Amino acid sequence: MLELSLFLNGIVLGLIYAAVALGFSLVLGVSGVINFSHGITFTFGAYFFLTMFKTVGYIPAMILSPLCVALVGFIVERLIIRRVYGQDPLFGLLITLGFTIAMEELIRMIYGPATQNINAPSFANGVVIFGDLLYSQYRLFIAAVATLMIAFAWIFTEKTRFGAVVKAGMFDNEMVSALGHNLYRLRVVIMVVGSFMAGLSGILSAPIWGVKPGMGAAILMPSFVVVLIGGLGSIPGTLIGGLLVGVTLSMGTLVAPRFVDIMPYLLMGVVVYFRPRGLMGQHNIVE
Amino acid sequence: MNKILKDPLLWIFLIFSAYPFMPYIGSFISLGSELLLWFVFALGFNLCLGQTGLPSFGHGAFFGMGSYAAAISFLRLFNHDAFVMPILAGIVLGAAAAALLGWLIREKKGVYFAMLTVAFTQVCFGIAFRWDEVTGGEAGLSGVLRGAFFGLPMNNPIVFYYFCFLVFIVCAVIIRKISRSCFGLSLQSVRQNPLRSQYLGYNIGLYKFSVYTISGGFAGLAGALYCLLTQSAYADVLDWSKSGDVVMATLLGGGTVSFYGPILGSLIFVICKNLISSMWVHWALLYGLSFVIILSFFPTGLMGIVKKKRNLEPRLRGNAPAQEQTRREEP
Repeated sequence: MLELSLFLNGIVLGLIYAAVALGFSLVLGVSGVINFSHGITFTFGAYFFLTMFKTVGYIPAMILSPLCVALVGFIVERLIIRRVYGQDPLFGLLITLGFTIAMEELIRMIYGPATQNINAPSFANGVVIFGDLLYSQYRLFIAAVATLMIAFAWIFTEKTRFGAVVKAGMFDNEMVSALGHNLYRLRVVIMVVGSFMAGLSGILSAPIWGVKPGMGAAILMPSFVVVLIGGLGSIPGTLIGGLLVGVTLSMGTLVAPRFVDIMPYLLMGVVVYFRPRGLMGQHNIVE
Repeated sequence: MNKILKDPLLWIFLIFSAYPFMPYIGSFISLGSELLLWFVFALGFNLCLGQTGLPSFGHGAFFGMGSYAAAISFLRLFNHDAFVMPILAGIVLGAAAAALLGWLIREKKGVYFAMLTVAFTQVCFGIAFRWDEVTGGEAGLSGVLRGAFFGLPMNNPIVFYYFCFLVFIVCAVIIRKISRSCFGLSLQSVRQNPLRSQYLGYNIGLYKFSVYTISGGFAGLAGALYCLLTQSAYADVLDWSKSGDVVMATLLGGGTVSFYGPILGSLIFVICKNLISSMWVHWALLYGLSFVIILSFFPTGLMGIVKKKRNLEPRLRGNAPAQEQTRREEP
């Protein structure tokens, strides 16, 4: 039974990773910027929620705080990331890393370094019983919301006209702007959507891991690996990568609990060695 | 003679030979040693970034490995009595790790290269942090003593400073030789137009691999010196955000436009970091914001501002191999 519940935990974890990695992957695909500030949007989501949910209630806070995070994403794109478009990848990486370091410290200044706890909402605060397996309702709730987010993103890119432009933007930036689409607006929208998803994931995972300033850095690296495994810019690839990493991290504790942190990287090494673009990656602008 | 006097490296050597006797700053002798090893680190790193245009984020890992190699070899292999061997071990492990990574990713470009180096750093951090038996895990390794070197007592900070100074002189001269040699010029052509250099018959994968290995060796050396300076090794130096430090120091000084940029950059970087962190608990706020400000307003660093008057193009613009009209002025 332990294996099964660990496996389920891995799936839930993987869905969160996939939801976070999706934004990272789309920004990288469309703008060619390794956006390290993606982790801090995750943290911001949780802290905005922490500040809001006592006054406005659980569900409104859950909608409002990702919107605030999306606004942060918009500002970050306008003020910071825009400056490094088309430059060497290290510039984008460092400028967003600098912003992340500064914001993490700002959060530490305002809220203190300690981990704060948020309880699971009352409507999902119990357990579900399948035969002789007890499973937390809240984790199922997370899985449902994350799946919904990913499904929305998927439908958005596959079925809408704007999604087609996004996909084209990953394939050939210049051609997209030559055809009269506003590439800058496209990049802003992707950044805002990605921040929204990361913020919401931050809120979802807050009751499980607690709210702490370093939570964004902790999620950034796994989602980084997810993107490399799944293939840049591919939503199904990111989902598969997320699930693989989540299950590896979760089931890995049975095999070698101490080295569980580096298992996703080994998995990534194997995948990237045999499929350099990741499992479902295609030709894209960053090559 | 006139040519030698105009050599900036000579002036840097002269200034640092008098460091322990300078008023005020000379009393922080370990800061001086730290500066010198950072110079070695940043100059070596700039072989990758400035010379070849490789956006490596893995040098923190090689630095950290060098420091672990020094500590482990000192504590376990040489039974607490050695000085040169730990340093050699640091160089060898740093170069070996860089060779491994460099071989695996020699064909990768741009973003993929950067991301894979980040991932490698994270693996190294994971191993150093968890493998308690060898690396001491969270607590790290301590108790590394500086023994005697040809009868000189290295535990005297001033003597150790001059040892670092010697290492710095040798490394700076070697690195400049490398960057001016045929090999160095080929590296520049790899940076400026990889496709064309490939058509001209250069095996660019091999060039990237070799420069990465050399650069990793210098990072390992700096790491080993750092281990001897702090007399310990811990996993914190391997953290991926620490890899940003050397990149930042190099860019701040303008390693992309000048050979001497990394020296200037790490001088300012290390001094500011030590100064601000001793004055304000939340120094990381300023630290992070300075990344943003420097990269948005001075992407070519301080040397870039100096050289702007001479109308030199920055070396790291654009992913596309654009034609570079202006030639980089060689040191």
